[in-house]
Amino acid sequence: MTPLTLFWLASLLLLSIGIVGLITRRTLVGMLIGVEIMLNGAGLAIAAAAKCTGFSEVHGQLATLFVMGLAAAEATLVLAMILVVQRRFGKVTVRDISVIKSRTEA
Amino acid sequence: MDRIISQILSAIRAPLDALETMLAAWLPGQEIAALVAYALYVILIIAGGLIAIGSRNLVRAMMGLILTFLGVAGLYLLLASPFLAFMQLLIYIGAVGVLVFFAIMLTKNTSFGEEASFPKLPNIILGFLAGLAPLAVLGPIMIIAAPKIGERTYQATDTAELGRGLITFDLVPFELISIILLVAMAGAVFLAWRRPEARSRR
Repeated sequence: MTPLTLFWLASLLLLSIGIVGLITRRTLVGMLIGVEIMLNGAGLAIAAAAKCTGFSEVHGQLATLFVMGLAAAEATLVLAMILVVQRRFGKVTVRDISVIKSRTEA
Repeated sequence: MDRIISQILSAIRAPLDALETMLAAWLPGQEIAALVAYALYVILIIAGGLIAIGSRNLVRAMMGLILTFLGVAGLYLLLASPFLAFMQLLIYIGAVGVLVFFAIMLTKNTSFGEEASFPKLPNIILGFLAGLAPLAVLGPIMIIAAPKIGERTYQATDTAELGRGLITFDLVPFELISIILLVAMAGAVFLAWRRPEARSRR
């Protein structure tokens, strides 16, 4: 088993854990945690693929840095969306957020 | 005075040198040490991930998330990418962890919130099925069809090379991601902005 396979297995594990969290959680905050774990696995896979093969490792590490930046931007936006949903519905469980537009809400 | 200092230094250095030769004789190679470190970090990742997806208290779930991030940072160190490891600590634990904490606190969703009880059994089964699917499909493929690459020397990536890459071949993605961050920040402020008339109407 090459080092690349070991690192890829770790990132695959992160993907699986993130999917389980994304599906079993009932609030938006818990789902955000699952998404962050999955994005972390993606970055690890890219960095390992660039480091353990003949590919230029600088390219791979910069790609991982971009994934990290995207994850930070996504977390910011999701926080704002969670705030809006909380203000409008009073709760952030995904089961209760099924109304896109209603007359009663200003 | 100089003689005394040099004597003290040599007295300190002698046991350190002895320790180094002892360690070099004890470890048959760096592979076993690397494997032990890998196992340690993967255990960190699994434990943190289980806490993150299983805890009924969202603050504890966030601590599990941070444990997972720490494990991945260790894997980056093992990959001889120290800059990525520090960026993992800064961006994920520093920024994303604090954002998740804000999200938990602003929704008053701690130990007695909507996550306090376990989800229904069908949801758990479906979740684990969906999580095991990529593990069952991609895992064997990964092991069987792993690219056969010759030995590479693992030297730490030069951070100056990363910086040089950011201003040459990755200049456009670098600028794009700064725009994305700016747009995300402005969008977050716009979304969370409570307009004065809306407040007075309530």
